Amino acid sequence: MAGRTGVGAGRGLGLLTALVYAFLYAPILVLTALSFNASRLSGAWEGFTLDWYLRAAANPAILASLRNSLLVGAVVTALATALATAAALAFHRHRFRRQAALETLLTLPTVAPEIVLAASLLLLFAALGLRLGFATVILSHVAFTLSYAFVVVRARIAGFDRSLEEAAMDLGAGPLRTFLMVTLPALLPAVAAAALLVFALSIDDYVVTSFVAGVGATTLPLQIYSMVKSGVSPEINAVSTLLLAATGLLLLAAFLLEQGRSWRAAALPIGLGLAVLGAPFVLAGGGAPTGRVLNLYIWSGYIAPETIAKFEARHAAKVNLDLYDSNEALLAKLQAGNAGYDIVCPSDYSLQVLRAQGLLRRLDRAALPHFGNLDPAFLDRSYDPGNAHSVPYFWGTSGIAYHAGRVAEPPASWGALFDPRYRGRILMLDDAREAIGAALKWRGHSLNSTDPRQLAAAREDLLRQKPLVRTYNSSNFEDVLLSGDVWLEQAWNGQIAKAMELDAEIRYVLPREGSTLFIDNLAIPRDARDVALAHAFIDFTLEAEIAAEICRSMKYSSPNRAALPLLPAELRGNPAVFPPPEAMARLELIQDLGDATIAYDRLWTEVKAR
Amino acid sequence: MRHARRHALGLLLPSLGLLLVLFYLPQLLMLAVSLGRRTAYGGVERSYSLANYLRALEPLYLAILWRSVVLAAVTTLVCLLVAYPVAYWLARRAPARYRSALLALVILPFWTSFLVRMYAWIVLLRSEGIVNLTLGALGLPPLELLYNDFAVLLGQLYGELPFMIVPLYVSLEKLDPSLLEAAADLGADARRRFASVVLPQTLPGIAAGCVLVFIPSLGCYLAPDLLGGGKTAYVGNLIQAQFAVARDMPFGAALSFVLSLVVAALLLLFRRPLAKAQAL
Repeated sequence: MAGRTGVGAGRGLGLLTALVYAFLYAPILVLTALSFNASRLSGAWEGFTLDWYLRAAANPAILASLRNSLLVGAVVTALATALATAAALAFHRHRFRRQAALETLLTLPTVAPEIVLAASLLLLFAALGLRLGFATVILSHVAFTLSYAFVVVRARIAGFDRSLEEAAMDLGAGPLRTFLMVTLPALLPAVAAAALLVFALSIDDYVVTSFVAGVGATTLPLQIYSMVKSGVSPEINAVSTLLLAATGLLLLAAFLLEQGRSWRAAALPIGLGLAVLGAPFVLAGGGAPTGRVLNLYIWSGYIAPETIAKFEARHAAKVNLDLYDSNEALLAKLQAGNAGYDIVCPSDYSLQVLRAQGLLRRLDRAALPHFGNLDPAFLDRSYDPGNAHSVPYFWGTSGIAYHAGRVAEPPASWGALFDPRYRGRILMLDDAREAIGAALKWRGHSLNSTDPRQLAAAREDLLRQKPLVRTYNSSNFEDVLLSGDVWLEQAWNGQIAKAMELDAEIRYVLPREGSTLFIDNLAIPRDARDVALAHAFIDFTLEAEIAAEICRSMKYSSPNRAALPLLPAELRGNPAVFPPPEAMARLELIQDLGDATIAYDRLWTEVKAR
Repeated sequence: MRHARRHALGLLLPSLGLLLVLFYLPQLLMLAVSLGRRTAYGGVERSYSLANYLRALEPLYLAILWRSVVLAAVTTLVCLLVAYPVAYWLARRAPARYRSALLALVILPFWTSFLVRMYAWIVLLRSEGIVNLTLGALGLPPLELLYNDFAVLLGQLYGELPFMIVPLYVSLEKLDPSLLEAAADLGADARRRFASVVLPQTLPGIAAGCVLVFIPSLGCYLAPDLLGGGKTAYVGNLIQAQFAVARDMPFGAALSFVLSLVVAALLLLFRRPLAKAQAL
């Protein structure tokens, strides 16, 4: 009778559940489809391909990061779930005098925003002098997943009947036997749910990991975040699909076994699942390398695997490549100390900060015989007079990118981005310095202005502009332009140069009021391990052929004068990569503004808060 | 009894010790930082001043904090409304042999990067995205689905739903069917049985789910940035910016402690129902 009244409601619930599953799996279907799409663009379907899978399998950085993530996830899941279950059992076994306080201590970590947890852990590791690496990643992940696991197991245990355990003990079962035969089976669903959650949290964590990861401990999310910028997401879609397929197969096997099917029935899904999960361990290799090691920490999309392989072959050395996607990530790592990198690639203003804090080593010019290949235009800048600490590697600009078929007329001034005709079709970089810089430049001021009146005017302009802006984005802005969501945008040139190869209608212009010049430089941190090898690497990138190869594959502008004749004509003639000299003359470097940084941040918050 | 206590302590101490070193000690370091001052190059100068806290309480920042609380509350409410029937169906209506598999399927999507899934949502929702192309093919007008509050809420719901479904499932699954039968025998109709048996029995799960969803939602920043188009600042974005862009660690630390105080105040405010939930 109880069941009958529920039948109609049950059907409604079942339908709703099906809809929720559709909601959860809609993006999964999309990314799976995209992983087989011949087009690099995420919009149009251009036929079936397995190319992205092959490329992912041949990309050592992706494989290594996947291996690292699986390793970290497995260890963290085991540790955090076991610890949390033990703690939940403790409360179940005994009523402590300060029960509520103790439970709060265990659940409070879920309260802290991840970014604060991340920064505070970095403070701790710096204070303890721990070297950043796998251990710090695992410890940090356990620290932030433990509380989640505890909450889940505790919710189940709250109503768990102690009398069963007591009965087992009365019947002569020892504590261990009682635990294994009575307690654990009763808790198993909760423990399994906790483990699934912990693994999901660990394998997807970006914020904490980006702060505490060190040499060779780049995980998949770090790799993904750094790759979004260089627009190689189809490979990431392929890896994500494989990861899902593998875990899906293992879950299927677990399900078959749970249903009482034989191991033989489960062997195929287990074998396939483990094969996929094991592939990165086999393909990425592993183990400690013999010989010399160079730890390279550089912007994503700044060096090709082939170039690294050449250096490794020439010096019988192994290069560990870790990537970052913001100067601030680099600054945080180096300021904490003990990062263990031999080469870093800071942009102009962050180089200024690192140099002022004594975190960089003076370069030995005698060990850099190819230094003379560099264009003097990019040397001896204010952030590093005489280039005592750095060598320029790439340079670039910010400007306006647009779709020629959609805009009314080609934009020539920053004013186009403030033009009401383009309401809802404008993208601005989500970057305080660049967005405020554009507003300042439009009014004819320096983009390093600290004049309160000029900044107030920039604020008014940006607030007036806000209703016109479709989105603020400083990661995959070229994708948004290609997809047609916006028609014109503030942009950095490198990604636009790549977008031009996909759509001939994409153009890039440096506004007549002038804009940003950035110069990214190779430098050696103070605590580098192999200083001689680091110099050898810098000089290697200065060789004309190597510099040309790097420029060809990465499409950023090279400061290497000797490399220019070796570049294909269409690259040299591309105004997005090598702008005309008269436009070059109007460019300005972003400088670190010291205390005025706070004024910029406040202004940007005011624009965003409105 | 003393033996039991020592035994329980032995089970508890590893977790407690680990969190003391890896959570509470770093938080103390952070507290010290929040009283300091940003140096010109983004370092921290030691001092004992409340200036950062006073700044955090300016109207500009309080408005952002309030908006974040509202978003987190709406997210939690929507999650609860969507998750409860799903968890109920999974725990009580789904064929028993498929239950654990179906629950695992709820979590499975979370084994891929949230970022990758957010980009997939963008492909679905944008102007010339899959949803709008489908609408167009059906002769319907396109919808503005991306870069607005709707998209932010959708992203939040997507990201937090399993954290609500799992604890609800766990508490619904252990619900004693004989209680329901007893209530039915006593003449309670379906609605009555739900209100007086199911709901009170699952309060611990509801409480756990709400805490697990509300608190991370307060600090969220990815969905507002990617799906909302970065047009609205939430406290998560604000704190993120202090650590990452402005490199003003003292102010970022102060903001995060203000946020923690808000959470503590809310937990205190709802202390009664939460305690009741724990006691069950």
